Formats: sequence, C-alpha cells, structure tokens
Amino acid sequence: MKKKRKLNNYSLEHKKYLKKIKVDKTTTLIAQILIFCAIIGLWELLTATKVLDPFFLSSPSRIFVTLVDTFKNGNLLYHIGITLYETIVGFILATALGTFIAILLWWSNKLRNILDPYIVVLNALPKIALGPVIIIWVGAGTPAIITMCILICIVITTLSMLSSFLSCDKDKIALMKSMGANKFQILFKLILPNSFGEFVSVLKINVGMSWVGTIMGEYLVSKAGLGYLIVYGGQVFKLDLVMSSTVVLCFLACLMYILVGILERKVKRH
Amino acid sequence: MDNYLQLKDVSLSYHTKEKEVLALDNITFSVKKNEYLSIVGPSGCGKTTILSLIAGLLKPSGGEVLLENKPIDKNTTIGYMFQRDHLFEWRTIYKNVILGLELNGKSKDKESIERVDDLLKKYGLYDFKNSYPYQLSGGMRQRAALIRTLALQPKILLLDEPFSALDYQTKLSVCDDVHQIITNEKQTVIAVTHDISEAISMSDRIVVLTNRPSKVKYIQDIKLQDIKTPLKRRESTIFPKYFDLIWKELSNEKKEEVK
Ligand SMILES: Nc1ncnc2c1ncn2[C@@H]1O[C@H](COP(=O)(O)OP(=O)(O)OP(=O)(O)O)[C@@H](O)[C@H]1O
Ligand SMILES: [Mg+2]
Repeated sequence: MKKKRKLNNYSLEHKKYLKKIKVDKTTTLIAQILIFCAIIGLWELLTATKVLDPFFLSSPSRIFVTLVDTFKNGNLLYHIGITLYETIVGFILATALGTFIAILLWWSNKLRNILDPYIVVLNALPKIALGPVIIIWVGAGTPAIITMCILICIVITTLSMLSSFLSCDKDKIALMKSMGANKFQILFKLILPNSFGEFVSVLKINVGMSWVGTIMGEYLVSKAGLGYLIVYGGQVFKLDLVMSSTVVLCFLACLMYILVGILERKVKRH
Repeated sequence: MDNYLQLKDVSLSYHTKEKEVLALDNITFSVKKNEYLSIVGPSGCGKTTILSLIAGLLKPSGGEVLLENKPIDKNTTIGYMFQRDHLFEWRTIYKNVILGLELNGKSKDKESIERVDDLLKKYGLYDFKNSYPYQLSGGMRQRAALIRTLALQPKILLLDEPFSALDYQTKLSVCDDVHQIITNEKQTVIAVTHDISEAISMSDRIVVLTNRPSKVKYIQDIKLQDIKTPLKRRESTIFPKYFDLIWKELSNEKKEEVK
C-alpha cells in the first residue's frame, strides 16, 4: 500500500527508469534459467541417444536416480551429515582461532614482528602438502579432515582481520586514549566493532574455503562423506555417484553462503 | 587564574629510523581559565604535537606542561576534538556521547547521565538520541562530538582544526553553535586552525608559531569579547586589522620557508 503511493509520486521519467531496471532484471533471470535448462537438456539428449557415452559422462536422469536410491537406503544423508559436520566445525574453529590470533598480533607489535616471516611462509605454503604430516600427527580420521579445513582457512582469516585491525584510524585511537581508555577498551569498544564489516567478508571467504579444506581432507583420509563418495566413485568408475555427490556439494555450499548472507543483512540492520 | 595551563620551555623531538626531527623548540605560553586560545602556524610546524603533549599522549623531550601548577598525567581529564567528528557509526548518538563516561566506569553515574541528557536537550540533539551518526547533518555531528567531550567535564578542551572538514556555510553556523556551547559551559579551549578569520572570530588570544622547529613567534590579544557571536565579530571594523597583523606574521614565515 505504502509502496504504491510512493510510486505514484514519481515522475513519468523515473517510472520508466524503474520499469527498465525491472525488465533488465527479469530478462537476465530468464537467460540464466534458459542456459541451465539448455545444458541439462543437451546433456540428457546427447547421452540418451548415445552420441556421448553415459558411462563417462553420466546424465541428469541417472544422477537423479542415484540421488533417490542413495537417499532411500539412508547413505546419502549419512555422508552429507559427516561432511557438513566436518565443514561447520572447521569453519567455526578456523574463524574463531584465526581472529583470536589476529587479536594477539594486533596487541603486541613485538610478537607481530617476530612471527612475520613464519606467517609469510605459512601463507605461501600449499596446505595440502601437509596432508601426510597431519595424518601422522592426529590420525587418519575426522580430526585430520577438520585440521586440514582449519589450516586452509586460518591463515587468510588471521591476515585479513589483522590488516583490518591495523587500518583503524589513528585519530580514533587517540580519541579513545584522550578519554582515558585502556588497551582492552580500545580493543573491545573500537577495534573489534570497527572491523565488523571485514569479519563478515572473512566469513564469506571461509564458507568457500572450508568446503575446499574438508573435501581435500576427505580425499586424503576419509571413510565417509561426500569427498569420500567422489573418490570412491572415481575409483570404481561409478560416474553417476561422482556426479551426484558433486551436485549435492554445490547445493550445500550455496546454501551455507546464502545463510551467511542472511546473517549479514540481519546484523547490518542494527 | 592567569596561569591555568602553562607550557614552559617545552621541546619535543620525533625519532624515526632515518633521522631525528625537532618539532618544538622551547615553546612557552600560558592559557587563562575560560580563555579561548587559537594556535596558527605554517603546516607541519607542530601544532598537533602541542595538543598531543597537553593531552598527555606524548611526553615532552624537555620542559614541562602544567595544569593548575601540576604536571599533566593520565588521570587529568582533557577533551580532545579532531578534524573529523569520529563518531562511531555502530553506536547511537546517545551511546556515542556517553562513550567517555563508559570508559571511566561512570555510565551508571546518575549525575553524569543527567548532565549528558541536559546537554543533549540544551543543544538540540535529544530527539536524535537514538539515531545513528549517518542520519545526522555535519553540523549536528560536530555538536554531538563536542557533547561527547564535555560529558567528562574536561579541565581543558583541545580542538584540532575541528571545522575544517565542513563546507563554508556549515562552518560559520557550527562556529556560532560551538562558541555558544563553550561559553555557556565555561570551558577553557586551545584550538588549532589554518583559518585566520575563524581564529579571530572565536578567540581571546592567538599564538602564531614559526616554521619547524617551531617557536612562539607572536601573540595577539583579540578584543572582540563585547560582540557575542563569531559571525557578528566578523563584521566588526577592527576585524580586518587583526587579520592583516596575523596574516603578515604568517606570510613572513611562509617566505622564510621558501628561502
Ligand atoms: N609520529 C611522528 N613521527 C615522526 N615525525 C612526526 C610524527 N608526527 C609528526 N611528525 C613531524 O613533526 C612535525 C610536526 O607535526 P604536526 O602534526 O604536529 O604538525 P601540524 O602543525 O599539526 O601540521 P598540519 O598543519 O599539517 O596539521 C611534522 O614535520 C611531522 O612530519
Ligand atoms: Mg595537525
């Protein structure tokens, strides 16, 4: 009701402009849906007519059947559960730990200078190379996968948060000091709230990274989970299983990303 | 109370890896209680440094800074305002204004809270108490920042080019507002500025500094107190005379710099 009245107050030119935006948005969406349908349709058509070999490429209908089958015998949910658990635990631990380390490094210039070369090396190192070491240290199982996930996310978390902490306006810090703030107060009343925006972007990056970490971990050691299904499917040439697991993975990663987006909007309103 | 705040032979050097920079060289002047004193000088001469010293954020390399004949320390309440208002965007105006009280464990102190409410009402911000800074105009933000510093009842108020981020029109009216608040609340002020007109219209006295390493070059008394508002003072006949005097002193310094 309110919206409508507002719209009526706009000039004709502005209404046209708004309409154009709306039309643009709809055509983009239609194009996106069409492309999706075309890919699926073509894939199904070419494999059904045996132009392409469904043994190597699987096909949308076969993926669907596999999903329904694995869902019915309870396996799918079990594997999804395992992977979700590992990803979420890794995600939370990495974000919390990474932020905490960033706080320590912000707190002490000395510590920051001392640790600087180590952080550079750790950042440059391809974390997957540590796989065997992790397995030996924490054993081949869920802990190893979570460790891998944390390793992948934590360095970037620490570096992004630290640079955001350090970029806080010097005058704002001087203002706090002139009002008698101690270092704890500067941290909790200025530095942390001031870096909230950066924290949300780190969350978004970590959503993607934690999936990378978990799946990589599962490739290395697991006996269950979506990463395991993909590796197993590949080894026994069950392309249907590989493709189905990948589809589920895409879906879950998107879902988690959307959840963080919703969280962001909720908190931003305050 | 002629020597409310005193700077006695204050000097200060900055140390960097490359060199040592002498910013202040034997600065001596004093401020009376309830006086509004402006500091003008070439850019980079050390004006902000003087304020940081008075605020206790820096220690002098030599000399001393005395407030009521006692050296300034961490427990002296000093109000410091910067070029930008630095209101915290994530706090409401009210929460911003009581920040200082919160930091000193006084946010539950009834007397302080009443004072803040009073200030907000008196200076037209009470209705915006639950708004966020982005919802306020530049002038209102500056007033909020001023109330934030006044909430702690500072012994002295330091202003570092507090109006320079505002456009000209806003600046004139904010100057009037701020002047009124400061006079009402009987504050002692040291203000740094680049704007000679602003300094003359607001101040009781103006200190001109030399190029770095800066010394006190010249002190000018301004006798415009009979005229109430800074805006009206600008229309006074002696205003341009003051302007010429200070302009000359400053431009001599600029020439020195070129040599
Ligand atoms: N932390 C610092 N380390 C080293 N040198 C500094 C530091 N802060 C200021 N300086 C130097 O000391 C001198 C005085 O600085 P200050 O900021 O007090 O000048 P200012 O008069 O406020 O300048 P402006 O007019 O630009 O505001 C400048 O030359 C500056 O380069
Ligand atoms: Mg300055």
